Amino acid sequence: MPTVIACFKWVIDEAYIRRSPSGDLDFSSVDYKIGEYDRNAIEEAVRLKETAGAKAIAVTVGMPEAAKGVKDALSRGIDEAYFIADSSFGNLDSSQTALILGEVIRNRIEQYDVILCGEGSSDLYAQQVGPRLAEQLGIPCISFVQKLSLAKDQLVAERRVEEGIEVITSPLPALVTVLPDINVPRIPGVKDTLMAGKKPTVKITKDDLPPLSEPLLRTISLTSSRLERSCERFGTDAAEIARFVGSLRKKGAIG
Amino acid sequence: MSGVWIISENRRQSLELLNIGRQLADKMGTHAAALLYQDREHAGDCVSHGADEVMLLPPLSSEQPAESCIPVILEEAKKGDPELILLSATPRGKNMAALLAARLNAGLVSSCTQIDYDEGSKTLVMERLAYGGAAVQKAVCSARPAMATIPPRTYETAMPKTGRQGNIRELPSPPPSAIKVIERKVKAKEAKDISEARVVVCVGRGIEKAEDLTIARQLAEAVSGSIGCTRPIAEELHWLPEELCIGLSGIQVKPDLYLGIGVSGQVQHVTGIRNAKVIAVVNKDENAPIFKAADFGIVGDLYDVVPKLISELKK
Repeated sequence: MPTVIACFKWVIDEAYIRRSPSGDLDFSSVDYKIGEYDRNAIEEAVRLKETAGAKAIAVTVGMPEAAKGVKDALSRGIDEAYFIADSSFGNLDSSQTALILGEVIRNRIEQYDVILCGEGSSDLYAQQVGPRLAEQLGIPCISFVQKLSLAKDQLVAERRVEEGIEVITSPLPALVTVLPDINVPRIPGVKDTLMAGKKPTVKITKDDLPPLSEPLLRTISLTSSRLERSCERFGTDAAEIARFVGSLRKKGAIG
Repeated sequence: MSGVWIISENRRQSLELLNIGRQLADKMGTHAAALLYQDREHAGDCVSHGADEVMLLPPLSSEQPAESCIPVILEEAKKGDPELILLSATPRGKNMAALLAARLNAGLVSSCTQIDYDEGSKTLVMERLAYGGAAVQKAVCSARPAMATIPPRTYETAMPKTGRQGNIRELPSPPPSAIKVIERKVKAKEAKDISEARVVVCVGRGIEKAEDLTIARQLAEAVSGSIGCTRPIAEELHWLPEELCIGLSGIQVKPDLYLGIGVSGQVQHVTGIRNAKVIAVVNKDENAPIFKAADFGIVGDLYDVVPKLISELKK
């Protein structure tokens, strides 16, 4: 029975980030979610469970609050979860996250065939944890995959490149990062959510890990991206439509 | 050894990366080098456009993926010890960059839109978007080399100079790779390249059926524009091809006019249009976030408004 691991990140839902009158980012009313692209990784792991009889494991590194995300992942059809949590894990850089994930996958999940990651996290979207994790584990990395199948001892993946598509074969184990169009993530029902509470979760704390490495990327500021637009409103009657088109012409936007 | 390196898969990427790479090399008082791993034909152009040195990888066999070059690049980078390595933020470039960064134990700024060199502190400050485009992140790499991927068309191509000299040398052949390319499908170039379009008409979920794309096409025709779309239209509904999808994870456009019809304005999408000169939209929901990102907005049903717009434009 193949083992498939989906990695995910519990992130701030960017739709709730406001800009304060002073122009700073306002995180006061934010909600959290499993990253959009990571939902595709989870769904693909569950799809491989259903089509190839795989065991589906989810792994995440984050703050203790990410426990909600672990339950969410389990309700989406994952069999068991590894939850690596510490209150200092809120702002890890990609290299630190990959190092921690690699450490846990290597030592706790001895045998695995495919590791799935989203193409990027939907908060910082650095798109590096997947490739860096593959390097940590010394396994092949196939990024930006839109179609995946498992055959005997190898996987076949269609990945997106500039000129089109490359169909790739890789020996197992391998790491795959998936594009949003690989599948449509399911929405868990009430029963799935109830079942999730009964599934096993392995909790790992900072003390179970080697000392944290230094970050390779230091964020020096995070500010609101100002979009200076005039936000002028128009109605739908003939005079307003004419004024709208006139405004476009005046701005030189159309000939 | 030192230098600013650009690692590129084709001519256009090389010349864009050399533009910023050469400027930074001059400020940093070092040289600029180009490493070409796919198209080798433009080595001479790299020299005339600012590279002091060009490193060429031998052509790969059809089943070798670009990543098989990584061990060779890594060896050269260890010998050459560059201060900064730049790649294009294309799917292949981003993957290559992250794999190289992991092996070099380097920090990497993904989809970097601006790089400034502070001569006083001798640091490279790099800018990128985060939180779906809602935030600007400024970051520095804390180890050498610093690395960044830069989205295509962030910089113009470098200007050539006659009489520039540079050394062109061959790198050794890469070892065989565990992963193999068994087929390459080149995408049909039927869709117009919207990243170059002067006017873009963008379709969002406000369009109710695939057939109704006709009215968007008629509007595009009236303003001599190209059609683009939001992510759901391409990736969920498949009404338009994925290369027309505008947004953070799709194409970033910079037209004179962006005309959005039935577009709600999620941050990821707005990020893809932030460089448009004028943003004009039609949406029936007056609370749609797109109105906050637009210069001109009509609050109304697109099925009512668009035909009126077309006839007004034809006047």
